Amino acid sequence: MTASKLASRSTLFTLLAGLLLVVLIGWRIAMLGDYTFARIVQDFLNALTLGSLYALIALGYTMVYGIIRLINFAHGEIFMLGSYFAFYAMTLTPMHWGLALLITVLLGGTVLLVLRSLFNLEEPKRTAALALLIFAGTFFLLAFRNMGWIEALLLSMLATGVAGVLLEAVAYRPLRGAPRESMLITAIAASFFLQNMGQLLFGPRVQGFNAETILNRPLNFTIGEETVYYTGILIVVPTVTAVLLFVLNLFVSRTKLGKAMRATAQDAEVAQMMGVNVNQVIALTFFIGSILAAAAGVMYAIRFGQIHPLMGLIPGIKAFTAAVIGGIGSLPGAVLGGLLLGFIEIYVVSLFPTLSAYKDVFAFVLLILILLFRPSGLVGEDLTEKV
Amino acid sequence: MRNTLLTLATVGLAILGLYLLTQAEGSSGLLSALTLIFIWGIAAVSLNLINGQLGILSLGHHGFMLIGGYVTALLMLPEKERAPFRTRLLSDWARNHLDLDKWLRGAGLDFIANSIDLKFVVALFLAGLAAAVVGVIVGAPSLRLKGDYLAIVTFGFGEIIRLLPNAPEVAALTNGPLGIKGIPGDAGTVWWTFFAFLFVLWFLTRLKFSSYGRAFEGIREDEIAAEAMGVNLAYHKVLAFTISAFFAGVAGGLYASYLQSVDTQTFNFFVTFFLLVAISLGGLGSITGAVLGTAIVVLVRIYGGFLEKPYPAYVGYLGGAVVMLSAFAFSAYIRKARRLRPVVETKHLIFGALGVALLLVTVLFRNEPWMTQTVQFFGLRKILLAVILILIMIYRREGIMGRAEFSWKLIFGPREDIPTEEQRKQDAWLSNPDLNPDAAKKEDDDASA
Repeated sequence: MTASKLASRSTLFTLLAGLLLVVLIGWRIAMLGDYTFARIVQDFLNALTLGSLYALIALGYTMVYGIIRLINFAHGEIFMLGSYFAFYAMTLTPMHWGLALLITVLLGGTVLLVLRSLFNLEEPKRTAALALLIFAGTFFLLAFRNMGWIEALLLSMLATGVAGVLLEAVAYRPLRGAPRESMLITAIAASFFLQNMGQLLFGPRVQGFNAETILNRPLNFTIGEETVYYTGILIVVPTVTAVLLFVLNLFVSRTKLGKAMRATAQDAEVAQMMGVNVNQVIALTFFIGSILAAAAGVMYAIRFGQIHPLMGLIPGIKAFTAAVIGGIGSLPGAVLGGLLLGFIEIYVVSLFPTLSAYKDVFAFVLLILILLFRPSGLVGEDLTEKV
Repeated sequence: MRNTLLTLATVGLAILGLYLLTQAEGSSGLLSALTLIFIWGIAAVSLNLINGQLGILSLGHHGFMLIGGYVTALLMLPEKERAPFRTRLLSDWARNHLDLDKWLRGAGLDFIANSIDLKFVVALFLAGLAAAVVGVIVGAPSLRLKGDYLAIVTFGFGEIIRLLPNAPEVAALTNGPLGIKGIPGDAGTVWWTFFAFLFVLWFLTRLKFSSYGRAFEGIREDEIAAEAMGVNLAYHKVLAFTISAFFAGVAGGLYASYLQSVDTQTFNFFVTFFLLVAISLGGLGSITGAVLGTAIVVLVRIYGGFLEKPYPAYVGYLGGAVVMLSAFAFSAYIRKARRLRPVVETKHLIFGALGVALLLVTVLFRNEPWMTQTVQFFGLRKILLAVILILIMIYRREGIMGRAEFSWKLIFGPREDIPTEEQRKQDAWLSNPDLNPDAAKKEDDDASA
């Protein structure tokens, strides 16, 4: 069978499946008498929030897979780290100036070193300005006032990005060129390492994550005679996600480093021959993926109000499923897949309340079905292995 | 002949040793360690069949073990334990259909039904069979995939299987997340597990050196070449997967009997990870290695308990310093062994500096309250296992044994790596152009080429 025939057949398959889904949902809504428009809107808001979070995490999976063909099992733990960094940033500040200075030197130094190696900062003036900004900013944030969620989000994104780069440098870089199975095993080991390290350092308890009350104050508006309830975070999450996606898109499509990333994803060897520093690009990929995961982690923690060291597992798996649905390796695919998964999860539970016990099984089933029947995902290109 | 005798003698010695150990006083800790080694050994050797010999990364082993555990539990549960939860929903069906005693008596096999040991053999076999059936169901579609996609699909199946007993529909049978308690512990003793382990070892060794085993290894080395040589890929893959699932089910049944309880947390993904560490440590593809790795990993898990005891905080700081300094030394050692210059890299100096800093902090603040308070490092053993696995993957991917197997020839046979006197003479003759005209001619050829 030729490739085009295959493609058209699978497109047809997707279309049919989508049509079936729409019919099924319509039928179910008609069956449930009390499923009003307000509930649809309510679910839509929840689904959009959840889907945005999945999309942010899924981007990390898909970027790493696109560049080094590695399923980064530890990505869920990076997400967890992000929320914990923000948690400590918000609860421990303002801290004693000596401690703040120590942390500033350690954290700022690492961040600066990593940023310098990632973004080719060679010009001394700019580097010095950046260093000043980072050191002064970190010290100011840590020592003088209680951090709000926005500062915590930014600081956590930076710290988590660095953590991702370190993870890559310590665990994955020595395995460059090793069999892919070995890399996957290492990723699983890294995931277990971070989970248990998290339990050791942060304590195994569930901790409450209290952001500003403005984010969680219940608000509502009415549609007809029904009331739709929402909170600030339901607005914040899609907005932040959209902004981050916009910036990411600009970065990947417009900058030189973004171009290098695309080239490496297409063919790492040839990119290297063309003068792309592949190691730098890979580290950069981990940095960006971890930044997005940290943003998702912080907002997830605000949305659900609690964090614990194993919180990365289920969202990690679901985001991976989202990346696969969209076609792993494709950025728009990851966003699409994340949103889709969020919508499916919320609406399935809402339309079929009896299925809510299977919420977590559902992601796995979807993952398996997609991998078995359409491994290239919805918008991904075909990744058949050649001889 | 000699080798068979040696093997039999070793088994005999092992049995004698075990007997003496069971008679000795205060040996219960060691015995339970051995039992666990045998149980996990069965699981590891069976995982090694897929991951090592067939060369396919499968991450769903905990699912098959869970099926074995639940089937054994349901079949072996004594009458009084059955009632509380089986009566809820599926009562009549379960009482009529999941009763091993009734089946056996119905088939006229009363003598088995009357002996709990023989009943266990049947139950374990059925547990393996159930796992194998699921193995076929899982394997047949997913083995079409390759590499990490296959790994993810098997992981997904494993997790689905693990989450299913919690489903409300079957909770009447499986007791939901609470699990089943009160399974007879008879099969979880050291004798049972020892003989089961011996049988599995025997079976899988025979399999490895049969035509099937060679077909598996052919698939691992090169699928296309293997197919060209007439190996039916799909058949052999599913076969290996099924056999592996069967023994995983048996291991799960034994483990359930050892713990005398089973729930969905007993067989979580950590089980597969644990086995993965074991077989990677021993050497993927080597049965000997799998057993060796399992022994090490299980011993770490049992006797590493002291790592998670409560200590004053400075022990932790000192431990951290030691870890940092040894990481520094280790990296320098590796670079030296690989003849890389400079031996001490700048970024590795960070480890050394951190180690020294921690040491200094410990010494300077040794009397501070936050230094003398009691702390406990939960999960240190799991961290240790993860670190071991990462280090193996980076520095020694072939593990301890590589793909080599233990054999008597290795110990008693002539050493093949040192040439005998005769071979030495022959080599000298071959390479001496005065004595051997061919050698002179060959040198000319080399020179002209």
